[in-house]
Amino acid sequence: MTRRSLVILVLLVAMLVTASGSFAQGGEEFVFGMILVGPHNDHGWSEAHYTAGQYVEEMIPGARMVYLESLNAADRPETTLEQVVEDMVSLEGAKLILTTSDEFEEDTLAVAAKYPDVTFINVSGDDALTGDAPSNLGNVMGAMEWGKEIAGCAAALATETGSIGYLGPLINAETRRLASSVYLGARYCYENYRGMDPADLTFTVTWIGFWFNIPGVTLDPTEQSNLFFDQGADVVISGIDTTEAVVVAGERAARGQAVWAIPYDYAGACAEAPEVCLGVPYFNWGPSYVQIVQSVMDGTWEQGWAWTAPYWEDLTDNSKTPVGWVNGEALSPEQAAQLDEFIAMLAESGTGDITADNIDDEGLSLGLWVGPLNLQDGTPLAAEGEIVPPRSVWYLEQLLEGMTGDSSAQ
Amino acid sequence: MSVEVRNIHKRFGPVHANNAISLHFEDGRIYGILGENGAGKSTLMKILSGFYLADSGQILVDGRAVSVASPEGAIRAGIGMLQQDPLDVGPFTVLENFIYGQPGAVRPDWDGARAQFVDLAGRLGFTISPNTLIEDLSIAQRQQLEIIRLLAFGVRLLILDEPTTGISAEQKTILFEALKRLAREDGLTVLFVSHKLEDVLELCDEVAVLRLGRLVGQAHLPVTTNALVAMMFGQELAPASRSDVVLGDSMLEVRELSLTSERVTIQGCNLSVRAGEVIGLAGLDGSGQELLTRAIVGLRRPAAGQVCVGGQDLTGKHYREYLAARVCFGAAGRLEEGLVSGLTLTEHFALVDPEQGAWIDWERARRIASEQIAHYNIYGRPESPIETLSGGNQQRVLMALMAAAPRLLVLEHPTRGLDVESSRWIWEQILARRAEGTAVVFTSADLDEIVTYSDRILVFYAGQISEVPDARRTTVDELGHLIGGQRLTKESVA
Amino acid sequence: MTRESIPARRLIGIGVAVGSIAVALLLTALLIVAVNASPRDVFDKIWEGVGLAGGRLDMPRFSGVINFWIPLMLVCTGLLVTFTAGLWNIGVEGQMVMGAIFATWVAQEVSLPSVLLVPLEMAAAALGGALWGLLAGVLKTRGGVHEIFGGVALNNLANIFGIYLISGPWGNQGGQATPPFREEALLLPASSEFRVSLVALVMVGVAFVVVVMALRGTHWGLELKALGKSARSALLLGVPTQRNALLAMAICGLLAGIAGSIRVLFTYGNLRPLVSGGIGFLGVLVVLLTGTRALWAPIVAFFFAAIMVGSTRLNIALQLDQSLAGVVQGILVLVFILANGISARLRARRQAPAAEAASIPPKEAAHG
Repeated sequence: MTRRSLVILVLLVAMLVTASGSFAQGGEEFVFGMILVGPHNDHGWSEAHYTAGQYVEEMIPGARMVYLESLNAADRPETTLEQVVEDMVSLEGAKLILTTSDEFEEDTLAVAAKYPDVTFINVSGDDALTGDAPSNLGNVMGAMEWGKEIAGCAAALATETGSIGYLGPLINAETRRLASSVYLGARYCYENYRGMDPADLTFTVTWIGFWFNIPGVTLDPTEQSNLFFDQGADVVISGIDTTEAVVVAGERAARGQAVWAIPYDYAGACAEAPEVCLGVPYFNWGPSYVQIVQSVMDGTWEQGWAWTAPYWEDLTDNSKTPVGWVNGEALSPEQAAQLDEFIAMLAESGTGDITADNIDDEGLSLGLWVGPLNLQDGTPLAAEGEIVPPRSVWYLEQLLEGMTGDSSAQ
Repeated sequence: MSVEVRNIHKRFGPVHANNAISLHFEDGRIYGILGENGAGKSTLMKILSGFYLADSGQILVDGRAVSVASPEGAIRAGIGMLQQDPLDVGPFTVLENFIYGQPGAVRPDWDGARAQFVDLAGRLGFTISPNTLIEDLSIAQRQQLEIIRLLAFGVRLLILDEPTTGISAEQKTILFEALKRLAREDGLTVLFVSHKLEDVLELCDEVAVLRLGRLVGQAHLPVTTNALVAMMFGQELAPASRSDVVLGDSMLEVRELSLTSERVTIQGCNLSVRAGEVIGLAGLDGSGQELLTRAIVGLRRPAAGQVCVGGQDLTGKHYREYLAARVCFGAAGRLEEGLVSGLTLTEHFALVDPEQGAWIDWERARRIASEQIAHYNIYGRPESPIETLSGGNQQRVLMALMAAAPRLLVLEHPTRGLDVESSRWIWEQILARRAEGTAVVFTSADLDEIVTYSDRILVFYAGQISEVPDARRTTVDELGHLIGGQRLTKESVA
Repeated sequence: MTRESIPARRLIGIGVAVGSIAVALLLTALLIVAVNASPRDVFDKIWEGVGLAGGRLDMPRFSGVINFWIPLMLVCTGLLVTFTAGLWNIGVEGQMVMGAIFATWVAQEVSLPSVLLVPLEMAAAALGGALWGLLAGVLKTRGGVHEIFGGVALNNLANIFGIYLISGPWGNQGGQATPPFREEALLLPASSEFRVSLVALVMVGVAFVVVVMALRGTHWGLELKALGKSARSALLLGVPTQRNALLAMAICGLLAGIAGSIRVLFTYGNLRPLVSGGIGFLGVLVVLLTGTRALWAPIVAFFFAAIMVGSTRLNIALQLDQSLAGVVQGILVLVFILANGISARLRARRQAPAAEAASIPPKEAAHG
């Protein structure tokens, strides 16, 4: 059929006609690339990075962000990280690339070796800690463990049924330690503020299989949230990139049920259903990124691995804290006061950023990670009063005793 | 309403399908439009009903020229055509289908529509319930629905293209009664396209005969059949003669066969067919004939019993093993079961040629196709897609594709939809094979055909099978009573 | 013989083509304007992303198009077989994933020099894909499960199985992918400029030529064609329909499996979730558009690959939402299909009602 050939021909011609190679680049600007695993407006993980990039542009004159969103095999099967990096470096002139997912860890490692003149930051990876990384690749991760402990506490303060659901993504060390941090916070507050027996606290983790819903592949987070509520939980805490838990809780509250939820990742996530939102632990990459961009611009950047602690003076000060917490509307004044007390207690035990240099030092604290603690199968993790070493938390091998849910893929 | 066509021309490439046709149709009369397959009658009807545009010529309604550029336009002009294959939609009820397409049907008036439907159906003697699902309707009932629908649209000239194909004699009577009443009482004009002379003679007031795209004759009925045949073909035809054949060995043995479908059950059927024998299966549609024809070619697994071909037990075997045992089957729907729409004649012949290797020798395939086209007098070229052939030519191709010298030839409605000449030719072919020792089993709704060609006749009534005592002396009339369920003397079950 | 004259058909064809392109471009441009971008910029950036900006070929970037085209084309080739046989092999995605999984298994478990290891990986992938395709076929022929439903279920199963392997037995600490394969387990690019695996490229060529020749020239190909156009009639003409349906599914699965292995052995260098990335579905779209005109498949597939690769550039340079490329693609496809429908209608109005015209037989009427 000649028609179809013609169609293609004419389209190609049309593209030729409109094509021209003009391309302008400002002289003073510093371009940094940001590669996102999800959409830039997901109200979750990726949006947190995206807004941090905008924050950098605001704070540092001449800094310009170029970004690519939704780089994953399902959304962009045609694009590899290497292609994106090449595009950003050679066509946009990027000097720094932030790969904002541990999904990009392996590829970032490979690409960093190819582009020694470009600085790479892989968020949440550990190559600079293990020493696998070339000298132009660093890692950064907010110490969300603190935020998760606060989230757990808020849930424990609110729950009436004594049953909390945790909507987990896939199972790895990061997700295990975050889920466990929530549990530690919940258990502490259930016992100390509610005066209940922590053994009566039901804490269930369901792993949906990925960071966000992929129909047919992951469990449906909306369905899982409903399931939690149907099975007696009245607080669902999200560990995934998207906001299904708080949306479902909002719908149920509208039907008169006493349920709450705690989203994750993004400071504005409560907006989906403020009336049921107890608060949100969020990443605030802005300050870290400003510091990174500035140091790369100045030529003072040095490879590092950083696990950045909250700014305890004010957990909502987005110019300072890498990990934040905002109270939600659903938190009663009394609960808010108790939570403030809890946060103050955490702040006291806080010991600042953990880096490749100090990770094995004695006395570094991640709040409630203090013995006696057992792993889920009963293996002792820390004896009475013993602080769990941060490295063991980072590489946590199982969930903790007392939690219901899988510690590894079955 | 009177309708006139003036000097209609329509060409399809080199073919002049309608050549200067002028006709006048008065209201209240029933016109038979006669002609063999390909004479141009369907083309003319499709022009009248807006499915085709004429190259030139005029259509006048009550003396005023109208434009019927689409089926909708034709209906607005009062002309509606009942299709050979009714174009209704499956998973809806009759009533939903009836309402569908009615003007102003944004919010359908269900009660009004139902009343109108029931009223029309009752007056025409149609037995069709508004709540039935379309897919549960018989062909005749679908026609009834279509007629009611067209009438509800205000159609004043109703065109029926081969409406008696595939419906039972009873349904035909109902249809004819309804048409006559519509013409007489409502002044409806009816154009009845058919190649079945007896139907035309029974129903129509006048006939117009087309041949090779031209109008070759008009007559007021009654006239003799022979006169009509002479007009259609330019000469009179005699049926293929049946010579006596010496019967040979048993080719098909059916023992205590039980078959079940949702509609009908056959139990304990015994049948023995010998080489050279022709068995006619008579009965109303769905009385169980097809269960048997399909069981003896391996397309339906029997619930019990045995099927042997040429002494070989093939019970429960796959169709392909029957094929290997030289059982040939021609199904009722040629393009649904038998020919592959979209493949050319050459491809068909290449497909069934046992001599073809892994790589097709297209040279050879084309040669065989050409030979067969010549031999079977098929009007078509090797490279013609099969669906572009007329029904008669498709049937010829089907015969040509069958293996040479089959043991058993099973045919369903071998001449359905064919004109007299083609039917005769097909039977020549069947009888020629029979003379070479093929056993033949066939079904037909045309009782004449059964009576003319069968050595033995099995009558099917609701799954009950009985044999006509003396097939050679039975008459169409007698057979008609039998298939309607009148009991035979219960002497012989085949 | 009963077709209208060729020039008239051409004319309709050209008219519809020009019209549909104009409509597609217009709609696309309107859409781009509606999201506050300049259509000119958009085409500019796509062009640049494909590596064809400024009148010279940017080979590394152009390689990106080829590298996406290769697995897509393998899938299309396989789908030509099932399409001919009238089967909707939606399960092709899962067949890719199984191919990737099988290849990964070999890559992780077997130690051999590259010249032996890579063929073994691809053979394993072919086997995995073929088995998965066969399974969908068996579900259809034996279980009466339509291949679309069977395919969707098997796609999900394959994906879930893949994610299980990645996060469980084959995972590293990250849990997002298997550890990178060793160098000798990988397909390597031809050069630092032309970053395309020659092995894969040759394989696509061979597979396509063999399949097209088999479909056109062999008895088996004709059987498939008959099966695809009317399974019932094909059966009645003596075609072993079940066997052919199974074989078609297996062959499609085989090629999809190889496509999956290219994704892990070349594109990514390890197994990751959703490694098929919708390439299978895109292949279905390509084959739907080209129909049985197999020779168009590579061109249309290339076109799709170019638009997709080029659109990455849109997101980076113009910060247009990533779904825009998909929407543009959708508009094009929709307009083409609509145009197809319109021209088919136009032709139907003018064309011979074949049965009528074909059978006006001067010779036959004369004879007796």
